[in-house]
Amino acid sequence: MTDHVIETKELTVYYGHQRGIVDVDLFVRRGEIFGFLGPNGAGKTTAQRVLMDVIRPTSGRAAVFGLDCQRQGTALRKRVGYLPGELSLYPHMKADSFLRMLASLRNANVNTSFRNQLIERLDLDPSRKIHAYSRGNKQKIGIIAAFMSKPELLMLDEPTSGLDPLMQQVVLELVREAKEEGRTVFFSSHNLPEVQAVCDRVGIIRNGELVRTDRVENLTHQQFKRLQIRFRTLPATDAFTIDGVKELTRDESSVTLEIRSGFAEVMERAAGYGVEDLETLPVTLEEIFLAFYDEPDEDDDRVSA
Amino acid sequence: MLALNLLKYELFSRWGVILGWGLGLGLFGIMYVAIYPQFEDKMAVLSEIPFYKAIGIDLGSFEGFIASSLVLNVPVILAIYVIVSSSDTLAGEEDKGTLELIVTMPLKRWQIVTTKAIALTIVTFMVLMITGATSALTLIWVRQSVEVNVSTSELFVAVMSCMPITLVFLMMGLFFSAWLPNRKTAATAATVVFLVSYFAEILAGIVPALAVIKPFILFHYFDSGATVFFIGVQAKDVWTLLVIAAIFFALALISFQRRDITVGQWPWQRAKAGDTLT
Repeated sequence: MTDHVIETKELTVYYGHQRGIVDVDLFVRRGEIFGFLGPNGAGKTTAQRVLMDVIRPTSGRAAVFGLDCQRQGTALRKRVGYLPGELSLYPHMKADSFLRMLASLRNANVNTSFRNQLIERLDLDPSRKIHAYSRGNKQKIGIIAAFMSKPELLMLDEPTSGLDPLMQQVVLELVREAKEEGRTVFFSSHNLPEVQAVCDRVGIIRNGELVRTDRVENLTHQQFKRLQIRFRTLPATDAFTIDGVKELTRDESSVTLEIRSGFAEVMERAAGYGVEDLETLPVTLEEIFLAFYDEPDEDDDRVSA
Repeated sequence: MLALNLLKYELFSRWGVILGWGLGLGLFGIMYVAIYPQFEDKMAVLSEIPFYKAIGIDLGSFEGFIASSLVLNVPVILAIYVIVSSSDTLAGEEDKGTLELIVTMPLKRWQIVTTKAIALTIVTFMVLMITGATSALTLIWVRQSVEVNVSTSELFVAVMSCMPITLVFLMMGLFFSAWLPNRKTAATAATVVFLVSYFAEILAGIVPALAVIKPFILFHYFDSGATVFFIGVQAKDVWTLLVIAAIFFALALISFQRRDITVGQWPWQRAKAGDTLT
């Protein structure tokens, strides 16, 4: 039996002739935090909406807990807490009533003390009408709604959007706690430091296509290396003109290189100038992500969704 | 199974509508019932106007006056509310973004449409009840000064007879709301059908050659003449309208089942896989 909570096969969505996502093959394992990365319009929200049966795929398959998203949507949605990226709430309801309504619609036995804990940790006064809240407070209501029934899968689209840095940390703690309890989190974001902070694996989506999925540490180690080399004799400016190598900075004794390929040749050439010290500089997920987006793409028509 | 809590919310959020429209239409009813004694003598003259005669309006009697004014106008006015609110229910909520959270609850789509349809039906029914009740109560007072052949219960039933045709417009609005891409288009389509139906009924009454189209006109199945008091509401007409309303409701269910929420596209605009990208 598979331990994949989410599984998609050649999942494709078109909006008319515009592309949403194309041939997305993805899986998310039980108990992991999966980060879904991409800029606005890359297709993150489209993929989540298909999984929640808000929109239907043009082709391909999508399953959550082994249940077909379209045919068995009701059963699977009982087990999912969803926070939409574009959250809209009923403005004339009080936050408290709204949360109680959602709990009853889910037929979920919401633990009141856990819900109150969430309210307290997110510093929300639930007695006010929703239209009176700021954007950040509305986002908190959405987060509480997603978490309060302790669902097996949390599907969060830009969960920290609109929150102040303190509250962002609270949300990330909640995500970590969900993982500790063995629950799965599908976390869509374009805030890369927070993805790096909490996610086990990430998928990078570009123009509707999933270009890479891997563990965060693999991505940050394998995509490219950044070396700072200190020389006895400073090499000529064209010393490292090699395919896949970019010289980033140089001073009187050292050169910093970004190396995507040709590592052996770099070492060979560097040896000729007398290497005194060599240091691997850390590469952030953000830089990896930007590197993916630096690569040219012939078909660059993105759609918003 | 209905989403009872959603129904509760839908009704709770519309209590102002029940009160506002109920009292508004109630005052409308009071006005027409109460005004008749003041103009009773002049009404006989109006009843001779050929145009009124042609379209079946009889202002020469209290019964004809009430039928032609109150009973005819109530569904026309109420149609504004049901078209606006039914088109706002699915397409409107989609435009506002609130529908996304509801469809991601563990509810089947038919449950969402049915719950909303029932809520709107209850609201419309309550508005008519208030209108009928206030008109009937006013009649008790009017009967002291004018001789009328209508009982309070007959007047109440006549006002309530507006329900089937109002229900048709409600379900039609709901269908367009589920089928068309946005609220504006849905409301426009429902309004066009309503206006065409209304004016077609008038024209068909004036132009004998158009009598043949009468069976295809919604208002043909709604009696707004004095006969509604003397003969009573025709069960055949009521059933015809209820069947039409049921058909629109079924179409709404089917359309919403197939709808891509948040996309706002016409159903035929979705491309198939392999289409050339532009």
